[in-house]
Amino acid sequence: SIMPSYKLTYFDGRARAEVARQILYLADIPFEDVRISLHDWPSLKSTTPFGQMPLLEVDGQSLPQSFAIFRYLAKQFGFSGDSPFESAWVDALADQHADYFREILPVLLTIWGFTQGDRMALVKEVATPARDKYFPLLEKIAKDNGLNGHFVGDSLTWVDLLIAEHVGSINQHLPGFLSAYPSVIKTVNKITSTPRLKEWIEKRKETTF
Amino acid sequence: IFSFSSQKSHHFSRLSAMSVYKLFYFDIRGRGEVVRQTLALAGIPFEDIRLPRPADGPQWAEFKSKTPFGQMPVLEVDGKQIPQAFAISRFIASQHGLAGATAFEAAWVDAIADQWKDFHTEFSKFLFVKLGFREGNEKLLKAEHGIPSLDNFFPLIEKQLKETGSGFLVGDSVTWVDLLIAEAVQVISTAEPDFLDAFPEVLKHEQKIHAIPLIKKWIENRPEQRR
Repeated sequence: SIMPSYKLTYFDGRARAEVARQILYLADIPFEDVRISLHDWPSLKSTTPFGQMPLLEVDGQSLPQSFAIFRYLAKQFGFSGDSPFESAWVDALADQHADYFREILPVLLTIWGFTQGDRMALVKEVATPARDKYFPLLEKIAKDNGLNGHFVGDSLTWVDLLIAEHVGSINQHLPGFLSAYPSVIKTVNKITSTPRLKEWIEKRKETTF
Repeated sequence: IFSFSSQKSHHFSRLSAMSVYKLFYFDIRGRGEVVRQTLALAGIPFEDIRLPRPADGPQWAEFKSKTPFGQMPVLEVDGKQIPQAFAISRFIASQHGLAGATAFEAAWVDAIADQWKDFHTEFSKFLFVKLGFREGNEKLLKAEHGIPSLDNFFPLIEKQLKETGSGFLVGDSVTWVDLLIAEAVQVISTAEPDFLDAFPEVLKHEQKIHAIPLIKKWIENRPEQRR
């Protein structure tokens, strides 16, 4: 059967779309990688199902919400775990990560230049407690999984990509912030050295977020 | 071993081939209810284990470190744990025809669920004060968080219901996100009776989902209903 066409629309950055781009690239699936400027977004907003991006279009059919997109693509291309139980664990860890990310987002938005704020105070008062609540759990998960280069199971899943992308963003702007979590760093380094992913990361456009 | 309230959802002799399901949560609906209803709708017997609030007993403090993420709900399937309510619900639903008829439909179920979660994160700033779980300025929070989040989210649900025309949120049969949204509508309508009057399809949807026989039976028999 003929391969569907894939179009991904997001801002010109990694943030909530990068994992989708990575899955498609890892699977060697051609896709339209559309990037919308902040200036052009308001007029496009009402054409999207939920007034938000990222948006995936599969043969012209729209799908909103980043994790729904990641999970759908992961399932299509073999990045969602090797059993229903493993897939559930990929989902669970991703949702746990999202809970943490929701807490740290105000800090990132300031660092990325979208909002005004006292960066140092936000790192100390918001990012640090959020990190201290979540990263010990990730450290334990990496170790319990045998330090095999994955957070769940023994093959690459979309939650590996999700966490690796976030750690990369943190390292970009807050070097050393995660130095207390060597197993996480080791796991992320193994993930990003997956050959095709390494290639994508090396050749992608550098963006602030 | 804990002492806590627990009940089998069905009484019949277990076949040795069947998995054993235990759900651990507090003795409230909260984040656990969508999981309980998904299990009920899938026709899966499960032990509905309800731990008392920390203020009322040591069970949660003792169990917390035995959970994957230090949180509940947690599902135990033949002794193996799965945390996070949506992961659990999707795990059960996708194995029992309650997660959409196609992969793309399943993705839309997920998208609506995550959109609800974004809404709930904002709306609960008002709701939890209204329900007395926290202190706060109810009127101010309603104006700043309650109404704006409601007005952002429910038009999407209303539109989605008009588009599917099936009475269900995705496709033409019930999915776990129907249970999630109907439960949320029931909670909101109980707290603020006229809050969703601008969304007739949403209100109709809640009635329809809660009239599904296995769900109706669950609701009639759940501990909260009998209090």
